[in-house]
Amino acid sequence: MRPASFGYHKATDLAHALALLAEFGDDGRPLAGGQSLVPMMNLRLARPAHLVDINALPLTAIERRGDVLHVGALVRHHRYLSDPLIAAHFPAFLEAVHWIGHPTIRNHGSIGGSISHADPTAELPAICLLYDATIIASSTGGDRRIAARDFFLGAYVTALQPGEMVTAVEFPIPPAKSTGAFIELGERRGDFAIASVGVALQWSGRQITGAAVVCCGARLVPIRASEVENLLIGRQLDAPDAAAIGRRFANTIEPVSDHSGSSAYRKHLIGELTRRTIERACQQALETA
Amino acid sequence: MKADSPKHIGARIQRFEDVRLLSGAARYIDDIRLPGMLHCTFARAHTAHGTILEIDTSGLADLDYPTWVFTGKDTAGLSMKAHQDYPEMQYSEQPLLAEGKVRFVGEAVAAVLAEDAYKSEDAAEQLFIDCDPLPVVGTMAQARDASLPPLFDGWHSNVIVQRQMKGGDLEAAKAAAAHIIKRTYRNQRQAGVPMEGRGVVAHYNNADRVLTVWSSTQMPHLVRTYISEELDLPESRIRVVAPDVGGGFGVKGQVFGDEVLIAWLAMKTGRPVKWIEDRREHLIASIHARDHEHTLEAYVSADGRLLGLKADISVDNGAYSTYPFTSAGEPGMVGKVLPGPYDFQAYEATFRALATNKCSIGTYRGVARPSAVFSQERLMDDIAAELGLDPFEFRLKNIIREFPYKNVLGFTYDPGSYAESLELMQTLLADDVAAAKASHASDTTRVGVGIACFIEQTAHGTPDFTRRRTPIETGYIAARVEMAPDGTVTIDLGLQNHGQGLETTMAQVAADALGVLPSSVYVRHGDTLTTPYSVGTWGSRGGALGGGAVHVASLKIAEKLKAIAAHLMQTTPDEIELADGQAYMRSAEDRFIPISKLARAALRNVDQLPPGMLPGLEAEQRQDGPRDGTYANAVHAAVVEIDVPTGKMQLKRFVVVEDCGTILNPLVVDGQVRGGVVQGIGSAMFEHFVYDEECQPLTTSFADYLMPLAPEIPNIEVHHFETPTPLTPLGAKGLGEGGAIGPAAAIGNAVANALGVEVRETPLNANAIWHLSAHLRPAE
Repeated sequence: MRPASFGYHKATDLAHALALLAEFGDDGRPLAGGQSLVPMMNLRLARPAHLVDINALPLTAIERRGDVLHVGALVRHHRYLSDPLIAAHFPAFLEAVHWIGHPTIRNHGSIGGSISHADPTAELPAICLLYDATIIASSTGGDRRIAARDFFLGAYVTALQPGEMVTAVEFPIPPAKSTGAFIELGERRGDFAIASVGVALQWSGRQITGAAVVCCGARLVPIRASEVENLLIGRQLDAPDAAAIGRRFANTIEPVSDHSGSSAYRKHLIGELTRRTIERACQQALETA
Repeated sequence: MKADSPKHIGARIQRFEDVRLLSGAARYIDDIRLPGMLHCTFARAHTAHGTILEIDTSGLADLDYPTWVFTGKDTAGLSMKAHQDYPEMQYSEQPLLAEGKVRFVGEAVAAVLAEDAYKSEDAAEQLFIDCDPLPVVGTMAQARDASLPPLFDGWHSNVIVQRQMKGGDLEAAKAAAAHIIKRTYRNQRQAGVPMEGRGVVAHYNNADRVLTVWSSTQMPHLVRTYISEELDLPESRIRVVAPDVGGGFGVKGQVFGDEVLIAWLAMKTGRPVKWIEDRREHLIASIHARDHEHTLEAYVSADGRLLGLKADISVDNGAYSTYPFTSAGEPGMVGKVLPGPYDFQAYEATFRALATNKCSIGTYRGVARPSAVFSQERLMDDIAAELGLDPFEFRLKNIIREFPYKNVLGFTYDPGSYAESLELMQTLLADDVAAAKASHASDTTRVGVGIACFIEQTAHGTPDFTRRRTPIETGYIAARVEMAPDGTVTIDLGLQNHGQGLETTMAQVAADALGVLPSSVYVRHGDTLTTPYSVGTWGSRGGALGGGAVHVASLKIAEKLKAIAAHLMQTTPDEIELADGQAYMRSAEDRFIPISKLARAALRNVDQLPPGMLPGLEAEQRQDGPRDGTYANAVHAAVVEIDVPTGKMQLKRFVVVEDCGTILNPLVVDGQVRGGVVQGIGSAMFEHFVYDEECQPLTTSFADYLMPLAPEIPNIEVHHFETPTPLTPLGAKGLGEGGAIGPAAAIGNAVANALGVEVRETPLNANAIWHLSAHLRPAE
């Protein structure tokens, strides 16, 4: 359980990092918190020939830039827990962070690392999808803006090209009052999820005007429940009919089966978690109405 | 003055060894670094079953550093031989490195050595093992399928061994029964997983022809004996050292082929050789545990008395027989212990070990008893439900109350507190039972209460091993106690301490016998150079037999100290009492001599000794276990809350009532119980080693092999009865394994109670609970 031989390069600034990544191409990987990459290297499931350490780069801002919340690629997960902008506009994001691993992982892991790694059950890819985030991928050739729905291509596979790295993620700030919830089920606290569901609702008074539902555990990438999102719009906070919507969503998916959960179990679970997240998001709206 | 001196046995003394362990000063196997040391990495089989066509080592030639490679051709004939002398048992050996065939994924095929561990791991990757796959024997059903070829040449089937044990008239019991209840129960395959994995370092000193082997083992003397026999070396010139060992749990309570191989490599290369197991290797290739299937048929009278029990026991043994407890050990143990704490006199058990292309089964805390008790106690609840009886009431009706009790197989149980423990638990759980009952109206949140009542045969003596006919013939533990001229004491202990608190409890025992403070007693262990020959630390024998040996040896020294004191104070030895570091005269308490002065007399100022007394203050004692061991008893209880729609279960409460006889140190006892319970919770809910149909392992890291973690564990309440056994010197019974034995049964019963279903297997993870609660969900 020792990594294969690799070269280590400490990038001094963004231009240096991008130049190194351009030079190494497929053989290079940026190293941020290392919470997923390093274990994968120890198991020799990942064997980059060169690591470009980007920890010294100033990609650490969480700030409002016009209509978007800009999150630098090196923002560590624990920071969301005390960030007022996250709490005010992205409540499902805030809840999701509580489910990310353990304190050590939350202290070291970064958003750029998490979404580039693209574990099928990871929380932040699901949150990017839920809030229609835009991922900024930078290279010596300039920046590409990639919509979250186009970014996650498969388990551990993203739209990033050789020489590119994530430098920031932008979350559009919801125009209306926003509530949301994220619930995950794993065997133990901090485990990889068997399934998780996130919901974000926007409100006009007591009526839902915008809705997004995301789930992990159905397929090898997080998916949006576009079929049922439309059903939520126009509903009142005291009658979201969440159970029926959850069942309806569950009926559209055919989850994987493995030793941690049968397909039937995951399917039911996603329906149940959908119901619970919708009800919780409605409860938040009621409490703040 | 002396009468009210605190006794050290039974005192809540914090563990002396914790200073070392908690401050980072402990020295584990990986901390051993020797000049010129080579590091070994094993190239392991990727195929579960296959014929080795070629091991291509040509890739090593491209490396720019020196490497050494050895395969089964180099070690031909060297093997692990773990045979039990049963005529029905099919014989096999496990080569130190695979010869001809591989029989499970992870089997060591080649040893690659280099001057650092990164290099040896890179070099091992260069090997290409070309295997021609053979049909895989992957399940118990396949192992019993005569059409599949046996794993070993010359075998007639993959049933390694099948035997019977019986007592009483089962046909009569069946004929008299008003109820016949038959059920099949299963327990999943597990790994053992101490925090520190295994590892071996070996060095052969050519000058004095001494082989030194450091190994993270629970049984250094048995490692020494096996290496001596297999490598044909004089045992007197082999030293085996177990340094600080970061948990063993039985996993390290066997001799492994790599311990012999690393020693052989050190002699072959003339350099020290080190191998440190990584977690993946530990999970796939050390030993596995559990993986049982039991079919039980109980015969019960109309008034709820157990009349007889018939059992059919299968264990999926994996590929090889492990040393010294063998393939027959695990299923045989189930047959032996199933009669449990209940009074019935007709029994028949058929047990078998089945060979499959998986990692071999070995001993892991509880050894077969967690599975046996799961089946026994699930059956008790299933019978109670069928008869409409309360689980406590049904057990109390059948529990053994008079001692000594001779069970249906002829084993004699020494006194315990079986009924009292059940009754206390019944009181402790009254509110939970009511809350559970109230919750059964709900289809969304259910509460359940489950108990497990069991006994554990501990500290088995030589006759028990003689009956088993394993390669281990005896069960005694030795201690040598010596007092230095300054009155401080050294114990050289045949036990090896890997978390049991022995450096503290053994000091307490010696302190009471010698009248000194426990802090003046230094307990040494784990080094065959200094400690007397013993079988090691396993089988819940440390406190009972090690404590007994220390006590008896210390008393011998105390007698001599009293004789010296009596001589110096011109009185008789029976007038002398040793306490608080002094030898007092009973009739005149103001007259005393410091024990250090007596020690000095015994070793330096020997002219002060009584006429004819020889100098020296040392004694050795070998304490064997009783014929049938001594029986500890316990009742475990779990209170669970189940979120029915998601299958998520929370343990709300876990309660233990236990009786291990004399308690040497309550802190240590509670710690042992709680640690065992946590492992039992792992068995019940989380840990599952999974193979696919081709016997490829799927749970090879801690991401997939789920250990119980702190957030899932409730406060574990421990209550005690203390029924000293007349069979050991201090009245202590074995304690180390008991905590791990009850939880699967208690939690299984709690789930059954919560959901109103029969629970037939573990692990009870979220997926399993969800499937068990189908009847509570509206049809979809």
